[in-house]
Amino acid sequence: MLALETLHGTRIVAAPEALDALDAATWSTSVTVLRFAPDDVFVLGAETISISGEYAIVEAESGFVGCWLTDEQLAHVAEHIDWPLPVERPVLVQGFVAGVPAKIWLTSSATGERSLLLCAAPYACELTERLA
Amino acid sequence: MSRIVVDGRTIPYESGDSVAMAVLRAGEHPHHGGALCLAGDCPNCVCEVDGIAYVRTCQTPAKPGLVVRRHPEVGAPEIREPAQPNVARSPAAAHIEVRRIETDVVVIGAGESGRIAEAEAVAAGRAVTVLDSADGNEVVAIYGGPTVIVRRPDAMVHYNANEVVVATGAAEIQPVCPGNTLIGIVTARAADQMHTAGVDLGVAVAVGTPPQTAPCMAVPGSLVRIVEADGKLSAVVVSHDGNETTTPCDTLIVGLGFAPRDVLSRMAAPHLPVRTVGQAAERFALPPCPTAGIVCPCSKIGVDDLDGVWDRGFRELELVKRASLTGTGTCQGSVCVPHLRAFIAERSGAIPEPFTARPATRQITLAEAAADVHTDVFRRSPLHDEHLALGAQLDRFGGWWRPWNYGDHVAEYWAVREAVSLGDVSTLGKLVLSGPDVVELLERLYPTTVADIKPGRSRYVLLLNERGHLIDDGMICRETDSKFVLTFTSGGAANAEMWVRDWIETWGLRVHVLDQTMSLAAINVTGPLAGELLQRVGLADQPSFLHHVHATVAGVACHVMRLSFTGEASFELHHPADRSAELWRALMASGRDLGVKPHGLQALFGLRLEKGHVIVGMDSEMDSTPRRLNMDWAVKMDKPDFLGRSALARTADLPDERRLFGFTVEGAAPTEGSPIFSDGAIVGHVASSFTSPLLGHGIMLGWLKHTPWPEQVQIDGRTATVARPPFYDPEGLRARA
Amino acid sequence: MNEFVETLLDLQWHEPKSTYDVVIIGGGGHGLATAYYLATRHGITNVAVVEANYIGSGNSGRNTTIIRANYGIPESVRFYQHSLDLYSTLEEETGCWIMHATKGLLWLAHTETAMRSERARCLLNTACGAETVMVDPQAAKAICPQLDLSGGGRYPVLGASHHVGAATARHDRVVWAYAQGAMRMGVHVLQNTQVTGLLRDGERVTGVQTANGNISAGVVLSAVGGNVTTIANHAELRLPVRTHPLQAFVTNGYAQSLGPIISDTELFCYVSQTARGQMLIGAEFDPQPSYSTQSSFNFLQSCTSKVTHLLPFLKNLRILRQWTGICDVSADFSPIIGHTGVDGLLITTGWGTWGFKAIPAGGSLMAELIATGKTPPLLEPFGLDRFASDQALADQGSTGTR
Repeated sequence: MLALETLHGTRIVAAPEALDALDAATWSTSVTVLRFAPDDVFVLGAETISISGEYAIVEAESGFVGCWLTDEQLAHVAEHIDWPLPVERPVLVQGFVAGVPAKIWLTSSATGERSLLLCAAPYACELTERLA
Repeated sequence: MSRIVVDGRTIPYESGDSVAMAVLRAGEHPHHGGALCLAGDCPNCVCEVDGIAYVRTCQTPAKPGLVVRRHPEVGAPEIREPAQPNVARSPAAAHIEVRRIETDVVVIGAGESGRIAEAEAVAAGRAVTVLDSADGNEVVAIYGGPTVIVRRPDAMVHYNANEVVVATGAAEIQPVCPGNTLIGIVTARAADQMHTAGVDLGVAVAVGTPPQTAPCMAVPGSLVRIVEADGKLSAVVVSHDGNETTTPCDTLIVGLGFAPRDVLSRMAAPHLPVRTVGQAAERFALPPCPTAGIVCPCSKIGVDDLDGVWDRGFRELELVKRASLTGTGTCQGSVCVPHLRAFIAERSGAIPEPFTARPATRQITLAEAAADVHTDVFRRSPLHDEHLALGAQLDRFGGWWRPWNYGDHVAEYWAVREAVSLGDVSTLGKLVLSGPDVVELLERLYPTTVADIKPGRSRYVLLLNERGHLIDDGMICRETDSKFVLTFTSGGAANAEMWVRDWIETWGLRVHVLDQTMSLAAINVTGPLAGELLQRVGLADQPSFLHHVHATVAGVACHVMRLSFTGEASFELHHPADRSAELWRALMASGRDLGVKPHGLQALFGLRLEKGHVIVGMDSEMDSTPRRLNMDWAVKMDKPDFLGRSALARTADLPDERRLFGFTVEGAAPTEGSPIFSDGAIVGHVASSFTSPLLGHGIMLGWLKHTPWPEQVQIDGRTATVARPPFYDPEGLRARA
Repeated sequence: MNEFVETLLDLQWHEPKSTYDVVIIGGGGHGLATAYYLATRHGITNVAVVEANYIGSGNSGRNTTIIRANYGIPESVRFYQHSLDLYSTLEEETGCWIMHATKGLLWLAHTETAMRSERARCLLNTACGAETVMVDPQAAKAICPQLDLSGGGRYPVLGASHHVGAATARHDRVVWAYAQGAMRMGVHVLQNTQVTGLLRDGERVTGVQTANGNISAGVVLSAVGGNVTTIANHAELRLPVRTHPLQAFVTNGYAQSLGPIISDTELFCYVSQTARGQMLIGAEFDPQPSYSTQSSFNFLQSCTSKVTHLLPFLKNLRILRQWTGICDVSADFSPIIGHTGVDGLLITTGWGTWGFKAIPAGGSLMAELIATGKTPPLLEPFGLDRFASDQALADQGSTGTR
């Protein structure tokens, strides 16, 4: 059974160009930048983030739960997805996993990174049950 | 030797046998008669197999212990309760495997034309999947995509392809003549299959094109009738050069020509990349117009039935089909369509096109269709487990599990009115908006003035659509000049987010949106002792009514909004979802001696009704204007524009009999939805009702839709009096306290 | 001999004329019923019903054949109860076997919100003359023993409203019964005659243009389903109507087993068993507007999942056929019947997914309107002008549609 735990990070909604810069920046390996939308990013593992634009919304985010997956776990999760996963890595995919709105940060296991399955906290129980 | 069970008797089969072949090997007919094609086209081998009726046994491999029951000769098969019970999991039919395969080209049929299509695609460097019934692939249908749905013995397979080639070949024409439902008739291809399988055909006579390998005596001429003795055929009568000859036989083999097996092609939408090749695309000559016998073996429809409906004025192919039921059975017209077309061609003088094909060509059970379908997800608040621990009865509301009550909604009510109570309002919609155009946006979005809301203040707002009808309500809280927090109802939150984003894009405004509905939990601390409780957990500087502050409460960073829905002083604590249980427990613990209790929706609905607060979707209707809800005070028509303004301006002077009123009644409140009568006529209905513990009688919000609005009405056989809400604390002193 | 083969009717076709008192566009239930009642009740027989395809080829031949009156607003309950009453005597009146069977309908509730709606429905129905009573789960189970009261462990049944008078009838046979009755009285039914435009004399509509020539008329009634906006466009009339596909499917025939009609307020699906033993299963219309009649596997998946949660005995039944119709849905989910504001043009539309059950009432009241020039009281609330005057008849929850 997958243990989905709260992901603590920073949610930023800002102009796409500002987030492009954030996305393109070199981060330490402990930082994960999840681009939910052109104007919406969720950054995990970064202490401080500077963002240009005075109207940017920057909020501490703890509304998502997630689980870093082994290759085996990822293969198991993939069995519950009825849409094709892209081959590109790393990439964020968003859609139904076992009928639950979820996201997966797909990385290349060749580089030793793990993929991250995440969903909004109110869905956590059902996602866990359905993937069991 | 392996065995299957047929109608309670075990019969042996040989390796490679289909169920139908095993039954034939045992010297029996798999159904109750009718020509067998052994190719999946006809319904004459259909049986119940392992509890599933309407299974084509010629397409079903024999397996040890398979239980086969013949359908009743007359009437429909019984329904067998499924072995697998419903279990509380999603998907419900998880025991059936579903595979989804992305492929380039799907070729249906591995006959000659299928192999050519495959070779061509391979030569073009394309990935090809060939599906043939001989390999256990029953193609159910071609849907948009194109998506090809396949039933296999071990799984359902959904192929998403770029192109589909239908190479299903041709079906053999079935005989239509008197006696055509007898036992002992096979098509030429079926005869060859039986011969290859080593099934003894006995004395076999062939009419038409003889089989390729099965030994038989070919009789020239056309089929006239089939003669019965002892419940099976005994001879065949053939007409040749005007002479009828009768030939005794055990088996009649018919080679009467072909019809394209093109149901899948006719089913596919015209724009789909679906090609038909080989015999499936061929236009074969129709058989001669049938003169007697059964045309439609599925529904036992004879030529006399066709004549009957034709003579009654049903002169279109579809009308003949619908009036006679020909072609509406299990084989979906595979057997009867050529004969039906020949019938209509002769009667009308014009050859009709075959009727539209619909899914499914090969049948699947409901469980197989539903196999990997998940139900809707029900959301759980971060306080879900707290509620369960407190004995809450949960109900689904607006897509969330929410506490309906904690066992005693009246006790919860009194906790709010007299002490302090906690309500889980995590499900409220919450949007953060920021940008240079944010005031402009909100002024257009809401009928209220927004620009004059100072930072740190908040305002109750209605959300109207272009028709001026209420779609949601909530609070707007101003954080800074260019940043606001908006709240929406739990049920309306998802639509509201789309609504806001859509208008930002439509108007081209520079506003960022962050939806925090599921990121932030919220607890409403309400009651006369709410302030004291919050004092105890560290909220020293408490916001006054319609103010909001950011503060730490019990160690948790909160956005504290002072408002009131219950009628008492209320503080909504919005906070990070992961800290919610901690905050809830701290509040419950600190308030124990104050009499703190949680309250559920049932108490809340009553509390707010005493205040006359409207619940969107419960009291309001799809077309409720602010005027109808007596909420014109929340609309500033002197603003230059806002959504719904022009509709409200246009309808302002129209007569309008619909109005939401308050009512009181002696005794318990009537059921919500009760019709309201005046002078014996229905003049409206009760939208919501509550037996007020404090007032000791029933109170209601309800609609009157006919003028003149009466002062007194009849509800539930009792006299009720129109009253002006609020029913409790009309000056709102308690909320501000 | 199959007992369900049609053996009683006699359809008498006529050669078309170039002018009629009344031309009805659309040879479905509503068009033919209007013609039938014009002829039988009002002596108006110089009538043509113009059908683009064959009679009953549209939604009249594609629906799930449910007849009920358990609506949520008084105007609709009264209207549909009138229709239900007319249906119950239609066989006697026409001498046709429409396979009418009163079965009762259980509308299941799984949440407090739904229970509240169903309780309200029962009270209103009773007040308006439709028999609907609230039943608890055990009583629902007694009415339908196959029900899984746990809803597959997912949608537990808290209660249900039982609409006692709900019935089914075979859709085609209803169409034919009205067609035969009208044709016998001299009404002309012109099949394969597509209306391509409206004849105008100034603002007034004076007839129809068809692929087979013009037909002039004293009054034109549009009784089409699925393409009403196209007809309205010919009169520069904009209707508050959107057209959506509606899908359904049927299983093979099985021994009679399911007594009542089962319906659901949350899952929006419905099941009944036909006289031939088939399970006839449908759901709400597709969310996206479209004129397409292509069926989708998505629909089949979602609908089968829903109904098997409620009725697990359906799991092993095999699906015979799936099909799609297109429905004209009005802005308030109630029908639009009567004058259009364009002289000489009347309309009956907005029938969405609930047109079949309305055929007798819609036809008889429209005939009365045409014959007398006066809008019958039961029709008054359903006029097109209600949208401009903001007097909508919102009753989405009763339509089987979200």
